[in-house]
Amino acid sequence: MKNSTSILMLLLLSVLFFWGCEQELLINESGNLVPKTVDEDPSLPSIRVNGAQFHSEAIGNPTDPMIVVLHGGPGADYRHLLNCKELADNGYYVVFYDQRGAGLSQRFPYSFYTMQVLYDDLRAIIANYRHSPTQQIFLLGHSWGAMLATAYINQYPSEIAGAIIAEPGGLKWDDVEDYLSRSRDFRLFSEGLNDAVFMEQFITGRQNDHAIVDYKYELWAAADEQEDSPTGNEGRLPYWRSGAATSMAYMDLAEKQKPDWTTNLSQYQTKVLFIYSENNKAYGLAHAQKVSSAYPNVELFETLGAGHDMLSFPTGWNNTYPTMLTYLNSLK
Amino acid sequence: MKHIKIFLLAIIVLTLAKNESLSQTLNWESLRPEQRHILNVNAGFDYAFTYGIGYGYQLRSKLPIVLNIEHSQPAGDKVFDDFKTKIGGQIRVYQVNNFHFTAKVHGIFRRFENPYVRMLNFGSDMSAIVGYYKPKWFVAGEFGFDKAIVTHFKHSHLSRENFPGVKDGWYEPATGGNFHYGLQTALSFEKSDITLKVGKVVQQDFETNSTVPYYFQIGYNRKF
Repeated sequence: MKNSTSILMLLLLSVLFFWGCEQELLINESGNLVPKTVDEDPSLPSIRVNGAQFHSEAIGNPTDPMIVVLHGGPGADYRHLLNCKELADNGYYVVFYDQRGAGLSQRFPYSFYTMQVLYDDLRAIIANYRHSPTQQIFLLGHSWGAMLATAYINQYPSEIAGAIIAEPGGLKWDDVEDYLSRSRDFRLFSEGLNDAVFMEQFITGRQNDHAIVDYKYELWAAADEQEDSPTGNEGRLPYWRSGAATSMAYMDLAEKQKPDWTTNLSQYQTKVLFIYSENNKAYGLAHAQKVSSAYPNVELFETLGAGHDMLSFPTGWNNTYPTMLTYLNSLK
Repeated sequence: MKHIKIFLLAIIVLTLAKNESLSQTLNWESLRPEQRHILNVNAGFDYAFTYGIGYGYQLRSKLPIVLNIEHSQPAGDKVFDDFKTKIGGQIRVYQVNNFHFTAKVHGIFRRFENPYVRMLNFGSDMSAIVGYYKPKWFVAGEFGFDKAIVTHFKHSHLSRENFPGVKDGWYEPATGGNFHYGLQTALSFEKSDITLKVGKVVQQDFETNSTVPYYFQIGYNRKF
């Protein structure tokens, strides 16, 4: 008995020793669990505007009408919207950027973020790529990006020649909360809930421990992609990095301020293309009609065979792209 | 440094195992000296909805000491992808009339897996419990700290599609820590206790909350 206990101890200690021989890694260092951002990795495409370095690229002829692609989140990145590059083949100058603190763009502290910062960033991005004052500017926003596009139009209605608004949770905070309550409907006994919360005993970090909380946020967000998720995507979204500080900051701001980004939309008489998806069971026609009604002139379009990220997967993209192109060409 | 931590943890775990040790919510006033064995089943919310089992062994010692082992895992479709095993003990360090002061120390081994990563963690949980105990019931306050001392990350192919440079291995400094505080109570019968624990969890900075910053557990002890 004594011998067998000793052998067991020796074996266990040997296993632990050889595990321990692996290189020790720092959890709070960029490049280990999350990729480096543009200020840490000069090889990434970037621009510096409005006091920040943004991960950004532009595709197409710079003199063509410009489409600025606004990704979701808040805190996600533009990697899952790269299908939009195809618009460059049809006479558009397509601009991508990761919003401040999101994706591979430079991080800022939680307390830095305000809606005005987002407006100023977008304005600066447009100014950076704009070829001439007469160049048309279109916004293409998905999810949170569609909310940001609307907020910007609400603020500066005369600056935008047209907009594609794809499944914003809402344009008033009540509608966003209503949507989130359906789209994040985790069941108490589900694997999805485990995947979202059980790891919180393994990893903890303060709001500005970026590398730690970004990684943790990625794991948390991954739980949204369960097979039984009501959002109905075809698969898992590709991404670079989730910006936890920016995401938490804008969600907390919205909960406090309960924004309404529709107060000035009556000034915007240009037709807007409003897209929603067939397979997102948390959205649906009724919610799409309610949210889109804030725009005076709106074309409502349902993407068949796709879920919330209809622009990211082949079926959704192929079923949406012709309508997007027709809409944009009608405003050229 | 990490080797030392692992070594010490292994020693603690093995030493306790060697003594056939193995912790629950206990009513000291109803636990008789001849009741050496305590079996426990429980369910509740501990970062996720979990269910668990435990075994305790009361030592023949001057101060009441119960060594125990517990295993719990969250509900969900995949049975063994996530779990937590605790091994350690609790000792009643002081008693004034019906007031008992208890210290609990446990080594923890836990596992988490989702489609992107598998994490293995060695940690510790230390708690202090102060309560008023009667043979048929008790109520006590508890305060403790759960430290995720060292964690091994292994990422999946899916994760590498997003970030090819993601690094697998042991991560430090300690990857996590959470304080927990709350109340525990029980009703005791001849050989049984029905126990309840409720409380709050807060990260080690005392500011940041978990997604669900509460815990509760209902349990049943059988003593023999």
